[in-house]
Amino acid sequence: MASTGPSQSLKRPDSSLTRGDQLIITPLGAGNEVGRSCVYMSYKGKTILFDCGIHPAYSGMAALPYFDEIDPSTIDVLLVTHFHLDHAASLPYFLEKTTFKGRVFMTHATKAIYKLLLSDYVKVSKVSVEDMLYDEQDILRSMDKIEVIDFHQTLEVNGIRFWCYTAGHVLGAAMFMVDIAGVRVLYTGDYSREEDRHLRAAEIPQFCPDICIIESTYGVQLHQPRHVREKRFTDAIHSTISQGGRVLIPAYALGRAQELLLILDEYWSNHPDLHNVPIYYASPLAKRCMAVYQTYINSMNERISNQFANSNPFDFKHISPLKSIENFNDVGPSVVMASPGGLQSGLSRQLFDMWCSDKKNACVLPGYVVEGTLAKTIINEPKEVTSMNGLTAPLNMQVHYISFSAHADFAQTSTFLKELMPPNIILVHGEANEMGRLKQKLITQFADCNTKIISPKNCQSVEMYFNSEKMAKTIGRLAEKTPEVGETVSGLLVKKGFTYQIMAPDDLHVFSQLSTANVTQRITIPYTGAFGVIKHRLKQIYESVESLPDEESEVPAFRVHERVTVKHESEKHISLHWTSDPISDMVSDSIVALVLNISLEIPKVVVESEAIKTEEENGKKAEKVIHALLVSLFGDVKLGGNGNLVISVDGNVVHLDKQSGNVEGENEGLKERVRVAFQRIQNAVKPIPPSVS
Amino acid sequence: MGTSVQVTPLCGVYNENPLSYLVSIDGFNFLVDCGWNDHFDPSLLQPLARVASTVDAVLLSHPDTLHLGALPYAMKQLGLSAPVYSTEPVYRLGLLTMYDQYLSRKQVSEFDLFTLDDIDSAFQNVTRLTYSQNYHLFGKGEGIVIAPHVAGHLLGGTVWKITKDGEDVIYAVDFNHRKERLLNGTVLESFVRPAVLITDAYNALNNQPSRRQRDQEFLDVILKTLRGDGNVLLPVDTAGRVLELMLILEQYWTQHHLNYPIFFLTYVASSTIDYVKSFLEWMSDSIAKSFEHTRDNAFLLRHVSLLISKSELEKVPDGPKIVLASMASLEAGFSHDIFVEWATDAKNLVLFSERGQFATLARMLQADPPPKAVKVTMSKRVPLVGEELAAYEEEQERIKKEEALKASLSKEEEMKASRGSDNKLGDPMVIDTTTPPASSDVAVPHVGGHRDILIDGFVPPSTSVAPMFPFYENSSEWDDFGEVINPEDYAVKDEDMDQATMQVGDDLNGKLDEGSASLIFDTTPSKVISNELTVQVKCMLVYMDFEGRSDGRSIKSILSHVAPLKLVLVHGSAEATEHLKQHCLKHVCPHVYAPQIGETIDVTSDLCAYKVQLSEKLMSNVLFKKLGDYEVAWVDAEVGKTESGSLSLLPLSTPPPSHDTVFVGDIKMADFKQFLASKGIQVEFSGGALRCGEYVTLRKVGDASQKGGGAIIQQIVMEGPLCDEYYKIREYLYSQYYLL
Repeated sequence: MASTGPSQSLKRPDSSLTRGDQLIITPLGAGNEVGRSCVYMSYKGKTILFDCGIHPAYSGMAALPYFDEIDPSTIDVLLVTHFHLDHAASLPYFLEKTTFKGRVFMTHATKAIYKLLLSDYVKVSKVSVEDMLYDEQDILRSMDKIEVIDFHQTLEVNGIRFWCYTAGHVLGAAMFMVDIAGVRVLYTGDYSREEDRHLRAAEIPQFCPDICIIESTYGVQLHQPRHVREKRFTDAIHSTISQGGRVLIPAYALGRAQELLLILDEYWSNHPDLHNVPIYYASPLAKRCMAVYQTYINSMNERISNQFANSNPFDFKHISPLKSIENFNDVGPSVVMASPGGLQSGLSRQLFDMWCSDKKNACVLPGYVVEGTLAKTIINEPKEVTSMNGLTAPLNMQVHYISFSAHADFAQTSTFLKELMPPNIILVHGEANEMGRLKQKLITQFADCNTKIISPKNCQSVEMYFNSEKMAKTIGRLAEKTPEVGETVSGLLVKKGFTYQIMAPDDLHVFSQLSTANVTQRITIPYTGAFGVIKHRLKQIYESVESLPDEESEVPAFRVHERVTVKHESEKHISLHWTSDPISDMVSDSIVALVLNISLEIPKVVVESEAIKTEEENGKKAEKVIHALLVSLFGDVKLGGNGNLVISVDGNVVHLDKQSGNVEGENEGLKERVRVAFQRIQNAVKPIPPSVS
Repeated sequence: MGTSVQVTPLCGVYNENPLSYLVSIDGFNFLVDCGWNDHFDPSLLQPLARVASTVDAVLLSHPDTLHLGALPYAMKQLGLSAPVYSTEPVYRLGLLTMYDQYLSRKQVSEFDLFTLDDIDSAFQNVTRLTYSQNYHLFGKGEGIVIAPHVAGHLLGGTVWKITKDGEDVIYAVDFNHRKERLLNGTVLESFVRPAVLITDAYNALNNQPSRRQRDQEFLDVILKTLRGDGNVLLPVDTAGRVLELMLILEQYWTQHHLNYPIFFLTYVASSTIDYVKSFLEWMSDSIAKSFEHTRDNAFLLRHVSLLISKSELEKVPDGPKIVLASMASLEAGFSHDIFVEWATDAKNLVLFSERGQFATLARMLQADPPPKAVKVTMSKRVPLVGEELAAYEEEQERIKKEEALKASLSKEEEMKASRGSDNKLGDPMVIDTTTPPASSDVAVPHVGGHRDILIDGFVPPSTSVAPMFPFYENSSEWDDFGEVINPEDYAVKDEDMDQATMQVGDDLNGKLDEGSASLIFDTTPSKVISNELTVQVKCMLVYMDFEGRSDGRSIKSILSHVAPLKLVLVHGSAEATEHLKQHCLKHVCPHVYAPQIGETIDVTSDLCAYKVQLSEKLMSNVLFKKLGDYEVAWVDAEVGKTESGSLSLLPLSTPPPSHDTVFVGDIKMADFKQFLASKGIQVEFSGGALRCGEYVTLRKVGDASQKGGGAIIQQIVMEGPLCDEYYKIREYLYSQYYLL
């Protein structure tokens, strides 16, 4: 009663009832482009950000995803799929320079490499201080905020449940599945369904997601079989060095580089004639990251763990690290793998500038090349290139593009989607053209399955509506019998995360960590008068005033309104006992007021018979009051026969039966007014019945 | 009705025998743990033998003998064939523990309960899970979800959570809530109100000193011995608590620049550490963090040398040293031999870090007072000589002939089978198999002889494409001069042999160290001779609790926090079990069971439940009040039916009936006292009541310690004379609750 009262007036706006709850997905980066992966998602007031990368072709703030589209402080969880710069490099900025205060998760291996890779990135990218997004210290601070998640481990934050699957792309790469109130979203990040020398293939989740946000880097292209690519790769290198040339392999410091090194090391051990040709792995990270690769063998495939038993497969026999270009003794044929992969700057660019004019040399591009980088330019084999110092140089060296990048090709994407059959597919992380082609092809492929395929641009929101049924479990005493249709169920509705339970108040502490309490109050009031007086007075107010039998209490006591017990503790005190609740509190307050009132009056002897008389008097008094009030309302009121009242207004006469409240007369309007007036008067005069409901 | 749950102990109740329990959930039988003791007494497994064939899944909790020792035997002899679930470290370290057990036994006896191959095939069925991975069972177990959670105690140690229809059955034995160097504490406390909790009473009567104090005593006693020119023997398990001990010693040795040598001696010591190095994600946060920052793997041991045979230890120059050797029970293994050697010297120290298993040498020595002398059996394997050798050889010759005959038959079959099949099947990663250079795979045919011995019983991993014995048809090409050969094949023969031995390791999945491998391949005929001798125990014997289990007091507080609806107690001495049972009956929950072996108890929850849909119309009128993680509201609703026939709740068409007001919340007197004080009211505790201001008193009635378990609702009594203060305080009190 008292508790339900206010809630009725506070109804929630029920605007979206018919459409279900709105789910919004907005790419803040990687929408119709490759680089700066960052996808925003919000559903039922929960907000998730997938990945937090930079665009490798830009620098400074321009490389960031469009963070100003969102309010970072509202994000609950940030999930990073793998350590590549275009997926993780704006994380220190986002954690340290924005209002973000949610939680960040990545896998163990990703976290270990993240730090190395980003410190390297900060050192390598030689931009002006204003353009620096963050420094080494920011990276270190961000490390403390990043939490780790293991593959398949299910975590719950704020009602958002999520877990990750192996993605196969690089060591530690994960695909995240997010479950908010039963709606599942899969974000693949970069993934590969092909097992290679050290990584497992991406898993196919056993649950079908409602939405699949999938990369489309390679669009409709198909990869050559892996052993063909490896053969092309080794052949290109072998032929170049046998002609006395030098081979430059620009590669991201971590990820694919390890795979290529495994191939090269094996090829060299199989070809003793090459042993005099050095292979350099020119990345300052080379040695540092090896410890990580040596440790997380459990994230790699069976092949590696089998080899690991004998010797560390990442302990290369034919490959030596190269610290910088100063230490490089450029005599005769050699193979150098250097970062960055896009030839933007750094060692790979220095070597490229040195070697590009000699036609004996070769440059092997082993990974995906990002639009806007030099690597992308030289694929088209222009006659000339601009070197770092601004001069133009002829491009004579051979350029091979043999993609080892572990992204899914069309065959993998389409089988992956066929297995999953998600009703909604959102394409991200792909050049607009490739993505468009992929979209068309997927549309034809899924023509008969009612699948929605969307490829939003950056900052273009995709809105969907999900009608998630709210199911509640009724448990405990309330569920002893399953109710029939039409019966009522009353109890506490307890919500935790997105699960609902209905239970009896007594069961609350059994099924939840909450507990209920009873507050018993006992108040003593000084009172020197006769106990009977109080009882008598209360009887005039309350319908139910019962004396309690003497066995229960040694002192005279009675119970008012079935709630409050009044005891005559001593000559000078009475006490009130009751269990707190709004009505009882009200009753007790009125008793207190009454007792105080009596104390003020001069105590007088009250005789029993007088009490009865008072009751009769009371009746008469009530009648008088009714009469007086009616007179004040209608003017001419006379007493008729049988206790009836005759009321005449402007010539119209009605008869009012005081016992039943019946009104008889000609004029309908007057009749109605008299009836209402009489009812109200009666309500005001007569005592309240004990059952308040 | 709720999910039906029955628990039947098969071993390890009312005593400290190995753990093995049958938990059946709606007819799906889980065997949780499958332990054996260091005596390998088959009579212990009788209850298991009776039910082994009905088991649908096996869950392993810790990688030691007591928790998984009987797995190979049960798989081989008792007809256990269910899939096994464990975490990656439990799988790996469990495997190594079993190897170590086998090799220690084989060295000193004609051990025939199981072989290395049995161990391999038993562990072949293991599905590896990560912590808090929800694994959905299929088939018969449809609807059941199992999830391992951190238990502490041992690396990869698991608290199993089995969920069906929203009801949790939790199996948590040997958990440790304290964070240690190696491991994080258990997450058991984060589970609240599971339907059933199965836990052990092993440590119910023990209390531990603080970790710092214990570590200090540990190091003090060791250093005292070393400085007194004595040797220290730590009998340890193969791959369990020893890791923590090693970290303690490493850390101390590094900090204090000590150079007393430390040796870790088991048959699998080096593989153990190799694997442990790759399990960083299972270890404590601080280890993970230090790796992330400095890439220093905690198990790149600088002071501990790894040994796999006793002869290596003998080569070490004399002088004080520490040896950590398996088995902890001193019943077998290197620790046994070293103990016999060292026990007679009063300068030496034997330091037990865990309670020995019942009726083992270690347990005898831990008695108070320790025995003056113990009888031990010294056994060793000696090569056969003279007549015995001749007889043996004759026998072998006969067997070999028979086998050769069989083998040639089967070889032929195989040749037929593999002919024509693509020889690329072997390793999908080989770039170019048509020109066979010195790729390691080509070495295989050369060691065919070796392989025959080796792979007897070797089962290929289910993922492998190749037939069991990859047969390589030499793709012989012929030209005018005869067969085209690759000169390299002949030139690098020596290297091939090297690789062949590597291949041997590879085939065993690298689970063995070369040294111990030699033991198996050592075909020299041998026999075991044993003699009993009495060893005078003069050395110092010390026991310190490094078991890494929560102690009695913590167990009790954890249990009352978790507050299961039903509690099953297993594993622990009769006194401990009884003690904990009485305690829990009083303070945790009214349903505490401690079944006997073979006794099936039904812990099906008497919980009633049904599901209803909450209609949007109803929900739009509900106003939730937030209380911590929960949101609570009162609902009055009418039951209706949805189109699909399930029940749904609709708003009432009539005005709601009144209901008693519910006070939701839990106030702590101490907190409330502070709250009142902050409002400027004088408060103090006196005689169990809170005196607020001058006159008003607040009391909590009902047994506060009996929280959770019984159907107790917090009772607060407020007393006072009529005054302003009374109403003020009442107002404050109400503000602590949600009134619904």
